[in-house]
Amino acid sequence: MSASMIFDHNSRRLLRFTSWLTALVLLSACGAKQVVVQGQFPSPLMDRLPLTLGVWYMEDFANHEFFDESKSKKESDWIVKTGEAQVKMWDTLLSGMFENLVHLQAKPDPDTMNQMVDAVLIPHVEELQYAIPTHTHVKVYEIWLRYRFELVTTRGDPIAEWTMTAYGKTPTAFMQSDEAAVNLAAVMALRDAGANFVVNFTRVPDVQQWLQLKRGGQEEADHG
Amino acid sequence: MDKILQQTLSLAGAIVLLTGCVTTTVDEIVFNEPTEGIGDATVVILGRRHASDYDTEPDFIKCVGRHISSRDKSIEILGELEFINALYPWFEPRTAPLRPENIHKLMQQAPVARKMAELKTQYMIWIDGNVERTNSSGSMACAIGPGGGGCFGFSTWGTEANYEAVIWDFTNRAEVGRVHTTTSGQSYMPAIIIPIPIIAPVKGTACNGIGNQILKFLSSKY
Repeated sequence: MSASMIFDHNSRRLLRFTSWLTALVLLSACGAKQVVVQGQFPSPLMDRLPLTLGVWYMEDFANHEFFDESKSKKESDWIVKTGEAQVKMWDTLLSGMFENLVHLQAKPDPDTMNQMVDAVLIPHVEELQYAIPTHTHVKVYEIWLRYRFELVTTRGDPIAEWTMTAYGKTPTAFMQSDEAAVNLAAVMALRDAGANFVVNFTRVPDVQQWLQLKRGGQEEADHG
Repeated sequence: MDKILQQTLSLAGAIVLLTGCVTTTVDEIVFNEPTEGIGDATVVILGRRHASDYDTEPDFIKCVGRHISSRDKSIEILGELEFINALYPWFEPRTAPLRPENIHKLMQQAPVARKMAELKTQYMIWIDGNVERTNSSGSMACAIGPGGGGCFGFSTWGTEANYEAVIWDFTNRAEVGRVHTTTSGQSYMPAIIIPIPIIAPVKGTACNGIGNQILKFLSSKY
């Protein structure tokens, strides 16, 4: 093999490598930024409510994702997938908050056979907003969520319905990517959602009334 | 041997020269200092995260904790995340007590009181603040071509760190001390082909300043 052939072979490889690298750089500039939210969620430190709660995650909740199209060429599209983390957080929270947590086999409905529970919680994510330093010129990444909860009987009859917000933010950090920071802000927002739910669940007027009825019924059964 | 010494001195000289100037002011108010240290009780350092436009950086909280425990090994500092996870959701930004009087309400919950007793937390230190860039000037241009690349220019920026640490005595449910530190510094970046950053260690100096004052408060050795 002559020296010129070796040179040709090497230069061709170098040229190919450079082309790939250029293509990669160009493509990374155009692509959407995607975050699949991942985090650890602790169990709440509290006395469990003496109830068996059923939970039903709708498909759009369990696979919740948020897509934001860029408004200019300088910005990127964003996809924030929170579904998996939502289920993980709410499962951990509700297991620590209620004596028993049951995952229902079907949506509560008069015609569907379901497990026996005191009530069924159906969470919905109504809205998600995010902000990154390039949008706001503030050195924090933010996620804001609005939830709607339905508390129903196993037959699907409404007991209570209310909305709740959650907010999470994280400061900019050296060598931290936008994706990692948005993930951390989302985890903070989910933790905040859990905190808000723990503090305010028994303060929702319809829930309060239902709990009183449950307690009354229980006392009657105990005395009777 | 002389060569090694010479190299070490050159390296130390380079580090000194490559570090920007920093000035720091520490104010301290102490109400009730423990006279013989804190014994086998533990301390937790937490960051305040209530402001809308900044967050107290978790790495700054870690830095202060490391500073204290490295100088007095008898002081046990609980990790911030470990503590807030163990007491979830009672120390989240939404639910964290803002005044020492609020601890009473928190301790009325039996699981919280049990966990606090298990962790033996006597002092809770809340740190609030952040680092901000105050000014910047100068310009730098970089270019790349077939023969190579390089930068030319000069830029400078100022950084200011403002942190306040509030010490709560968890057992007596009272504020027992307050430390405030303001640190400012100027960083430079001259570039003749290669940019050479000369960074003012503002955050590190603030960490040492606030850490030393907390150490004086908690330790019987200082």
